Amino acid sequence: MATETAPGAPSGKLKGKSGFRHSSAIRNAAILLVAWEILGRFKLVAGGALPAPTEVLVRFWSDRGDYPAHILATFQGASLGFLIGNGIAILAGILFAISPLAARLGRGLNVAMFALPPIAISPILVLTFAGMTPRVVLAALGCYFVTMSATVTGISQTDRRMLDVVRAYGGGRFALLRLVEIRAALPAILAGLRVAAPAAVLGSILAEFGGGGRFGLGVYLIGSLGRADPARLWGIGLAATAMALIAYGIFSVIEARITRSTRAVTVAATPPGRRAEGSRLSSIAITLASIALPFIVWWLLLKILGTPAMIAKTPAGVFDYLFIAASASSAQSRLLAALGQTLPMTLIGMAAGLAFAFALALASVVRPGIVRSFMPVALVTQTMPLVALTPLLVLLLGRGPSVILWITISVTFFPAFVTLAQGLGMVSRGALDVVRAYGASPWAQLRLVSIPASLPYLFAAMRLAVPRALLGVMIAEWLATGTGLGNLLNQSRGYLDYGMIWTVAVVSVLISVLFYQIVILVERHVLQKHGMQPAA
Amino acid sequence: MHLTLNRRHFMGVMGAAATMPMMSRLASAAMPFTFQASWINDAEFAGYFLAADKGFYKEAGLDLSYLSGGPDVIPESAIIAGKADLTLTTPDTTIKAIVEQGAPFKIIGAQYQKNPIGIVSLAKNPIREPKDLIGKTLAVPPVNVISVEAMLKISGVDRSQVNIVPYAYDPTPLIKGEIDASLDFTTNVPFTIKQAGEQATSFLLYDFGFTIFNDTVVVTEETLKAKRKEIVAFLKASRMGWEENLKDPAIYPKTFADSWFKGTGRSIDNEVYFNTAQKPLIENAKGVYAMSEEAIAANIEALAAVGIAAKREHFDTTVLEEV
Repeated sequence: MATETAPGAPSGKLKGKSGFRHSSAIRNAAILLVAWEILGRFKLVAGGALPAPTEVLVRFWSDRGDYPAHILATFQGASLGFLIGNGIAILAGILFAISPLAARLGRGLNVAMFALPPIAISPILVLTFAGMTPRVVLAALGCYFVTMSATVTGISQTDRRMLDVVRAYGGGRFALLRLVEIRAALPAILAGLRVAAPAAVLGSILAEFGGGGRFGLGVYLIGSLGRADPARLWGIGLAATAMALIAYGIFSVIEARITRSTRAVTVAATPPGRRAEGSRLSSIAITLASIALPFIVWWLLLKILGTPAMIAKTPAGVFDYLFIAASASSAQSRLLAALGQTLPMTLIGMAAGLAFAFALALASVVRPGIVRSFMPVALVTQTMPLVALTPLLVLLLGRGPSVILWITISVTFFPAFVTLAQGLGMVSRGALDVVRAYGASPWAQLRLVSIPASLPYLFAAMRLAVPRALLGVMIAEWLATGTGLGNLLNQSRGYLDYGMIWTVAVVSVLISVLFYQIVILVERHVLQKHGMQPAA
Repeated sequence: MHLTLNRRHFMGVMGAAATMPMMSRLASAAMPFTFQASWINDAEFAGYFLAADKGFYKEAGLDLSYLSGGPDVIPESAIIAGKADLTLTTPDTTIKAIVEQGAPFKIIGAQYQKNPIGIVSLAKNPIREPKDLIGKTLAVPPVNVISVEAMLKISGVDRSQVNIVPYAYDPTPLIKGEIDASLDFTTNVPFTIKQAGEQATSFLLYDFGFTIFNDTVVVTEETLKAKRKEIVAFLKASRMGWEENLKDPAIYPKTFADSWFKGTGRSIDNEVYFNTAQKPLIENAKGVYAMSEEAIAANIEALAAVGIAAKREHFDTTVLEEV
């Protein structure tokens, strides 16, 4: 079989190297902390809006009585959402991987679910469900797409030769899945879970903002916002980060163990199998059904939940609001003005976020120590609720395009980075050994083997980045600049303009789907030239 | 809609049933009633906390469920969705929804006779009246932008001369001078600013022509018909709670420290400041919540300046007459 049980590289050398990596990572982290302390202590950043770590700790200690109930509430919402969201995601991923028809039918629904802006659906969830349910749903939604696409990627990248072996011995579809594909997909699934963990925490906190509950880190944050106490806000944000970090760490450890035992030793020589295409007519029918499915599910959900028509707009309701009602022309002009501000920033932000993720992923191969000490900072940007950082961000970056750009990069790069780093890490050892044997430097190894081999992951990262970039721009507009779709959404919520809330949600999903389709077209073209298969 | 609302109510009852073991001994024949607050638990709702703690609701025959609010909670939505029976709102958004979307709301009382919302600035860079805002940066929660625009219009200040940016309820940018002023509750933020070592200056929008109530008591027309008895009982008990609380605003906030205020991240001194500052804005010779004809007319006039066509019929003063 094409798996190995022992690491390929000489073990002595590897051990020494990883020991060195550890100490350098600790050293870098210490340098970072000291620098932060100096910046905070001497009020060098934004007139003291960045508190020193010791100030955060002191504040945390004096608030210690408040934390347990809030952390417990957030943990309950996030962990239940994590279990449900990932459970559904893995099952759906398997279904989509083994049935191309289901994958094509479900694509519209998948992308729509991923592109739903949490800031738009949180109030709707809060109105429709009671108690913990909105937190669980939002946490589950945060996990679904990442894990689902990771599962599909993992299964579809299975080494064909292993499948052939099982087939030759008479293995059926289920045997292929159980003996080969699930095992092959495990590292990818675990990488997905690793990204999903911070997403679940953030999802729960976002729903807490609007949930009106008494406990949860989000609730605590809202109560503390008005107190002009950055040390408290950082304490809450770092508590959220610690929760995410622990979950991230657990899945990293599991992943590292499993990946080591399932990595391919040699390169698959056979080209991946081509997906059988049906007739042109059935292909069009499937595409139409895939587009219709999200609308049908949307309509059905509202019917089942019985939410009043004034709040819950069906597809027909949104169409009426935007094209037929007396206020339609005013709604259209407000929407178009907002889009004119939001779309250009989304494209720029997406490109910048991906470039950053790619640079970071390459650096993680060449200089793993630096990247590892940067990871805590990266995780903070993922789990620190942005509303807590708003004062710092506007003081540092103002309220113009640069604040939009930075927020967008910060919400875009992380999943893209994890996907890319995983792609680079999955490169076959055999191929790397060939160039190594010829004395190639780490950069030459990247250029000749790792980058070309991880192309499917680059495109997968790009697809992940599309809706997140739009979300990042909207968050920045909502919190800092007061422009574009983000502001329109926030204002509409206050004015009870439910038609516009739904319209913004639908339009943002449509934009994401459009960009997504463009990426897919480019991907197909490029990967076919390289004899590769798209990742998911 | 009728059927749907009932279904929501039914689910609400099912939800309440889940917490029954705790409540059953208190509420054998009590009428269930749900109140959606408009913000997180702070002194703005001290009257309700006190009425609950003193058993005023129970004496009035109510089994009260209290839902806290927050920046993302849209109180009006909670009563349309049937999640709550009664809520507190800002009259501008409520009446805008009635006029533009045919929302079935009735305003049956007003907690704040004078809206506590105002322009807060630092004493060292003071903004004492609307025309001081010319050339300055003002942070406003997006939902309140129309109120500010109305105040500017009434005061004869050109909207384009003021730079309005979003406000995320954190006064840090104001304290650090990134913005010159913010729109917030004048009953609350000046305390925070003082804690941060600065002095605050503020004025109410109300005192510059935007004469509206705040925390207007709102129900749906359907609830008003179906639960009039409960609504009257709620207002009566809540009024008793407010009157007791306002006798000496410094007394009661600390009794909520380990219950209603637990874990909000706010200090009791802050709540006492808030409670004291809100006293003159709530009190009314005819009793808490009263809406005089003059005050209603002033609301209608102020809202007309923002292009909201409020009418007398949006206000219903008959419920309070029964209290």
